Amino acid sequence: MARIGVFICHCGENISATVDVKKVAAAASRIPGVAHSVEYKYMCSDPGQQMIKNAVREKNLTGVVVAACSPRMHEPTFRRACAEAGLNPFLCEMANIREHCSWVHEKSDATTNKAIDIVRTLVAKVKKNKALLPIKVPVTKTALVLGGGIAGIQASLDIANAGHKVILVEKQPSIGGHMSQLSETFPTLDCSQCILTPRMVEVAQHPNITLHSYSELESLDGFIGNFKARIRKKARSLDEKLCTGCGLCTQKCPTRKIASEFDAGLGLRPAIYVPFPQAVPNKPVIDREHCTYYLKGKCRLCEKICPTQAIRFDQEDEILEVEVGAVVLATGFDIKHGDFFPEYGYGKYKDVIDGLQFERLASASGPTLGEMRRPSDGRVPETVVFVACAGSRDPAKGIEYCSKICCMYTAKHAMLYKHKVHHGRPYVFYMDIRAGGKMYEEFVRRAQEVDGVQYIRGRVSRIYERGGKLVVKGADTLLGARPMEIEADLVVLATAGVANAGAEELAQKVHVSYDPYYFYSEAHPKLRPVETNTAGIFLAGACQAPKDIPESVAQASGAAAKVAGLFSQSELVREPLIAVVDRQAPPLYSTCVGCFLCQAACPYQAIEKEEIRGRDGRLIKTVAKVNPGLCQGCGTCVALCRSKSIDIQGFSHEQVYAEVLALLNRGESDV
Amino acid sequence: METLRDKARELLAARTVQVIIGYGQGSGGGARAVFVREAAEADALIFNEACRQNLAVYLMKPEVRKLGKAALVATPSALRTILQLAAENQVGDHDLLALAVHAAGEVTLLATLQAIEAHVTELDADLSAAEKAELRKYEALSLEQRREYWQEQFSRCLKCYACRAACPLCYCSRCTVECNQPQWIPVPAHDLGNLEWNVMRAMHLAGRCVNCGDCSRACPVAIPLYLLNQKLISDVFANFNARSGMAAKTDNAMSIFKPDDSEDFIR
Repeated sequence: MARIGVFICHCGENISATVDVKKVAAAASRIPGVAHSVEYKYMCSDPGQQMIKNAVREKNLTGVVVAACSPRMHEPTFRRACAEAGLNPFLCEMANIREHCSWVHEKSDATTNKAIDIVRTLVAKVKKNKALLPIKVPVTKTALVLGGGIAGIQASLDIANAGHKVILVEKQPSIGGHMSQLSETFPTLDCSQCILTPRMVEVAQHPNITLHSYSELESLDGFIGNFKARIRKKARSLDEKLCTGCGLCTQKCPTRKIASEFDAGLGLRPAIYVPFPQAVPNKPVIDREHCTYYLKGKCRLCEKICPTQAIRFDQEDEILEVEVGAVVLATGFDIKHGDFFPEYGYGKYKDVIDGLQFERLASASGPTLGEMRRPSDGRVPETVVFVACAGSRDPAKGIEYCSKICCMYTAKHAMLYKHKVHHGRPYVFYMDIRAGGKMYEEFVRRAQEVDGVQYIRGRVSRIYERGGKLVVKGADTLLGARPMEIEADLVVLATAGVANAGAEELAQKVHVSYDPYYFYSEAHPKLRPVETNTAGIFLAGACQAPKDIPESVAQASGAAAKVAGLFSQSELVREPLIAVVDRQAPPLYSTCVGCFLCQAACPYQAIEKEEIRGRDGRLIKTVAKVNPGLCQGCGTCVALCRSKSIDIQGFSHEQVYAEVLALLNRGESDV
Repeated sequence: METLRDKARELLAARTVQVIIGYGQGSGGGARAVFVREAAEADALIFNEACRQNLAVYLMKPEVRKLGKAALVATPSALRTILQLAAENQVGDHDLLALAVHAAGEVTLLATLQAIEAHVTELDADLSAAEKAELRKYEALSLEQRREYWQEQFSRCLKCYACRAACPLCYCSRCTVECNQPQWIPVPAHDLGNLEWNVMRAMHLAGRCVNCGDCSRACPVAIPLYLLNQKLISDVFANFNARSGMAAKTDNAMSIFKPDDSEDFIR
């Protein structure tokens, strides 16, 4: 016979102000199976917990119902208290009479009666609860970091410095990401490469980090602590061990007029190339789409010239299989390109460029060696217009969010321009200035006040060419929306920061959720900002939302701390609230018929095939089996299973039915 | 008919299969299933317009499976059933081969699931014009009228479960209706129980039913169960562009999610 204890909390006045807690306690004591029923001001306090522990021991309780707040708040508290008193923690349940009752209703008999009903359902459930044991899964203490930009670099270094192995995978031939393309960084104007390249070298030299550049994730299976990743190492067309990085091949390559990705299309590179001088690793790669040998079958000049015979034209992609315990997604972002701004002539006029292109123009390692010369004719631009919010905060363009970094880098661009062209006239069209951050507001003020950048509050409606000048038509909303025109030599659009083209595909590959803009979703916007909803997969940097370098680095260190925390234990303990396929006595063995429709439905790939065999090894039946490490207890398979062969521990069919029936079958006299 | 018998004799004589599941003479001019295990008995096989039953239902019966590898005299519905069963991991290449029968009396031996797939692709799997016309008439009813219609139809249901026994895709070893901890579907043949039973069965066949029509033919009180199935077949095709029983390896439309699935119902 069940001996259930019911503990009713006043929650100060949160509950007792609208619910007659004494009446609830009295009503609960009359529910069959309830052996003990009390109320107390703060059940979660030490004396409150002690009441529960004492009752469990003295009254020999077989189950506990705490009628208080949401189980999201204090379920762990009360389950731990029960465990300390020797009761299996999963025999303790919470009846939420605060969020579900006292907070949402006026003081009345009906409110009290509802609280009694809620208690009644939970008592009915607890009677069907079974003792459950936590699940333990082993942990592989190696992290996989996807993306070798500043976020991925920081995360890798932090995890590696905590003493764990890291596998860093970068799609491009070199790590460094967008930060390596930047000239100077706000708000200090220190050179981006000067602060980044030491980190890149550290990654390359760190004994705990294995770097796979020019590689991509092929697939990811498994679960927290136990992922299996397949990495495609794309063919560089050379033997990396033999290559010394001397650079002779890149100097002699006859195909030289390929738009450089690193220079955002403003510079040129050969078909065999190292993206930039400080690249890590400093090994070239042959661009097979442009290499004469791959196109026409002739040339092989690089092969002849290579002093170490490192060129391998017949090299094929290699697939590496690795086992990792955690994954950090640090795949970064992109900016809006192409025909997204027909009204601005972006892509049509050579001198309408985007922010990244301006970075390359301003950079000492860029195509103009840091001289401010416009792309069309190489002249020094006298008037430059910077357009902030190009695409961002524009519902009509489908991008409602603020790209966050543009206000700051636009101020920086205008400043850098002014520092190089002292007589130049920089204008900035803006909607609002968002300069929240340490030394940020001061930085923008400096652009306006010290460097004399002309800020115009208003949007640009059109840009067109007239007599060799770019006419920027806009309005100054601070002067009564006065229409205005500026004849510019160069226009820089702060185009919206967007998710990478492959972001959705990768999200589906690793099973994390993403928002409508294909930025990866954090598990909780405030309290779990570096976790995804998939256990063991973490976020760092701009793949989650546009963010600047300090924020990316902070988030990367946060993700690394989460990984290090995960790796600090050799086994993971998980709540056993997972799906289980039933077992029956022979000759049935299980009611599962092995149709495996659940396998396709499971969002976590948690369903495996299990062969039930006789003692002689004969195959009796193939049935579904839930992998306890992978299952998240979502219940999709349970709902789908036609023969009701799958059940969720802790929320079984029987338990939920008992709850519903407790409500349906109560007599009027029970209230 | 002779071609069929010859094929059967040949298969049994060569021990290619242990049993031929086919049609034999039933009472009152009807046809019934026969299980021919010896070449000498192959004369019991017939094929005529009375042979409509989807014999694939026997593939899932344990007592038939025990007989060994089977050759199934298969109508187009039965062929699609075999593919659907294969997609649900219930039959494989080594379990059976199919003798596809045509109205004109020819027989095509389909030795592999792949061969069955190729054969089925050539068939018209869509609902017939008459079926579509009836469905359109049903869809013209308001929700209230549809509820009344089914209440009226289900009021005759005896819960004899003949529909379940006739259905080749109702192969669970324990049906939901037999779960009593908790009791999901009320056992008595009252209004609520009948509604829940029939709706549950229809939903369990959504995206799986191949429209063989055996449930309706088996129903002793003539409930038009085919209409429920055809409505779901038409909806699954319209929403997910999926048709059951067309491929031996395919995910069930109701158990998978595709990014381009229409989600109009939650907008």
